Amino acid sequence: MWKRVKYHVPDALVVSQRQTGTNIYTLTIACREIATEAKPGQFVHLRCSSGLDPLLRRPFSIYQVERKEGLVSFCYQVVGKGTKLLSRVKEGTFLDVMGPLGHGFETELCGKRVGLIGGGLGIAPLIFLGQELAKNNEVQGFWGGRSKVMMPQLAVTSDFPYFLATEDGSAGHRGLVTELVEQWLQQETPDQLYACGPRPMLAAVAQLARSKEIPLQVSLESVMACGVGACLGCICEKAGADEEKRLKVCQDGPVFWAEEVQWDGEN
Amino acid sequence: MEKIEQVDLSVNLAGLKLKNPVMTASGTCGFGEAYEDFFSPAALGALVVKGVTLQPRKGNPTPRLVETAAGLLNAIGLENPGVETVLAEYLPPLASYNVPVIVNISGNTLEEYGELAARLSTCSVVKGIEVNISCPNVKEGGIAFGSHPATAAKVVRVVKANTDLPVIVKLSPNVTDIVEMALAVEEAGADALSLINTLLGMAIDIKKRQPILANVTGGLSGPAVKPVAVRMVWQVAQRVKIPLIGLGGIVTAADALEFIMAGATAIAVGTGQFVNPRCCVEVIAGLAEYCRANEVKKISELRGVAWNGGK
Ligand SMILES: Cc1cc2nc3c(=O)[nH]c(=O)nc-3n(C[C@H](O)[C@H](O)[C@H](O)COP(=O)(O)OP(=O)(O)OC[C@H]3O[C@@H](n4cnc5c(N)ncnc54)[C@H](O)[C@@H]3O)c2cc1C
Ligand SMILES: Cc1cc2nc3c(=O)[nH]c(=O)nc-3n(C[C@H](O)[C@H](O)[C@H](O)COP(=O)(O)O)c2cc1C
Ligand code: FES
Repeated sequence: MWKRVKYHVPDALVVSQRQTGTNIYTLTIACREIATEAKPGQFVHLRCSSGLDPLLRRPFSIYQVERKEGLVSFCYQVVGKGTKLLSRVKEGTFLDVMGPLGHGFETELCGKRVGLIGGGLGIAPLIFLGQELAKNNEVQGFWGGRSKVMMPQLAVTSDFPYFLATEDGSAGHRGLVTELVEQWLQQETPDQLYACGPRPMLAAVAQLARSKEIPLQVSLESVMACGVGACLGCICEKAGADEEKRLKVCQDGPVFWAEEVQWDGEN
Repeated sequence: MEKIEQVDLSVNLAGLKLKNPVMTASGTCGFGEAYEDFFSPAALGALVVKGVTLQPRKGNPTPRLVETAAGLLNAIGLENPGVETVLAEYLPPLASYNVPVIVNISGNTLEEYGELAARLSTCSVVKGIEVNISCPNVKEGGIAFGSHPATAAKVVRVVKANTDLPVIVKLSPNVTDIVEMALAVEEAGADALSLINTLLGMAIDIKKRQPILANVTGGLSGPAVKPVAVRMVWQVAQRVKIPLIGLGGIVTAADALEFIMAGATAIAVGTGQFVNPRCCVEVIAGLAEYCRANEVKKISELRGVAWNGGK
């Protein structure tokens, strides 16, 4: 059973804001409510400005949590109006946040071997997940991106080993992260896989997992308005017999079992 | 001057006694459960739930949303589980909220409107029916009824013939003459009016050189539409005798006051909830605060005060 606990904190203190790559920032806020409740894979819906444009909140996955200190971090890329304004938010100011929202990754595993596959900013929630899972499991990370400077800061992943792939060859394997995963799966049979990243990457991982019959959880993205299941704006197609029912990415997800999702010839 | 201790926020909306004039806008709070973690629906004047159709509807493909300057375009396409499931699963739990529930209905035919009204009237939780004649997203439905006074009036007569509950008619702003529409549905027996529904709009992705919404067009809501909505409430309120629910872009109590001063008896918050999940309760508190600060004993005294230039 998922305990439903969501908070709206209109004045969370910005503890730090650092640029860590090309258009990539790490933002830390003080928000004990969210830090206490957050599960890997959940997200926070935050306002990038207090004005009416941009109007809506923007969703960001939880990247790091310091439960004792009550701190929550995000790693984000500037892609448009909202993230540009967010990148200008200064330490010592306040942000209006809502969270933790959504249904996170399954973490109740013990003594298992698991693989985490992250592409671009999709690595962010997997860092939090990996740290939680590494307490009781053997975790292997696979991080991919266009270039080293377009990935979240990786130093924080010392809790478990990871392989890197970049399309420009600036770090690790030159190529796609899924190539590394494919090689790994030829030698290893992990108990579970987790993935977050661009849709084509997820589709490729879903196919690999299916062919090897390894359970896979994916974290999806969608355009969101409410973030709490009210507007029905964020839905994605559900696979299988129950396809009349649609999945709300914000509430039923963003994390789903790969077989729940209709990949529709994408893989 | 005497100091006001207790402000009376209650209003009478076509026989429905609301403890305050603040309602949710249909389609922006699901069936009341979505914002439960942020405020209790019991605080509301009334809860207006998601638009319901006779058969389940899958809604439109995605993208269904795109943000525009101070606004939101949506093309949800009336996704809902259908009236049968709504009656069986969604409405009964709302009894515990202790708030009047108003169900918003949409039909493809006059018969469907009639059947929806009849079936919903059997549910004791339902205290009013809001008739959506204006949803611009559903090709064969909404727009055709909402854009002609005579057709709109027919819908109202059918709904009235099938229910004893107060019937609120939600008007589309996408018409040449909003007053003509309002008078036609009042004449047909509407007990109250909601205005406005969303304004038909669209947005184009200049990189892909194609419309952003899968449905091409969508309904515009949010602060961007507020001046249009206030103007329509102002025009209609001075011509009809039935009460009005004003909505469109309300985010703050000041926005709500504009609608009330333009002639609305009650107001609804839609997109504002997406911006601030506690928008409804903050608007309620803000209204009380305004009344106290301005020595207004009853919020209903403010209705239409702007008509005579505030004198
Ligand atoms: C559950 C969830 C978790 C997320 N976590 C992170 C994260 O940890 N780090 C991060 O950097 N981003 C994350 N995102 C994406 C992030 O929300 C968007 O990048 C952000 O909303 C863009 O806002 P903007 O105003 O800057 O861009 P806009 O001006 O709104 O759009 C600019 C461009 O970005 C595209 N875009 C907008 N929203 C999204 C989206 N949701 N996904 C993909 N492209 C989008 C638009 O199509 C457009 O081309 C997440 C999204 C979701 C749904
Ligand atoms: C996501 C979304 C879904 C909506 N669904 C409905 C609906 O089912 N029926 C209806 O009559 N109006 C619907 N509306 C219109 C709103 O109830 C309201 O009339 C409009 O959004 C203007 O108010 P606002 O600016 O406060 O949102 C919807 C609006 C939005 C944004
Ligand atoms: S974002 Fe509104 S339902 Fe998911």
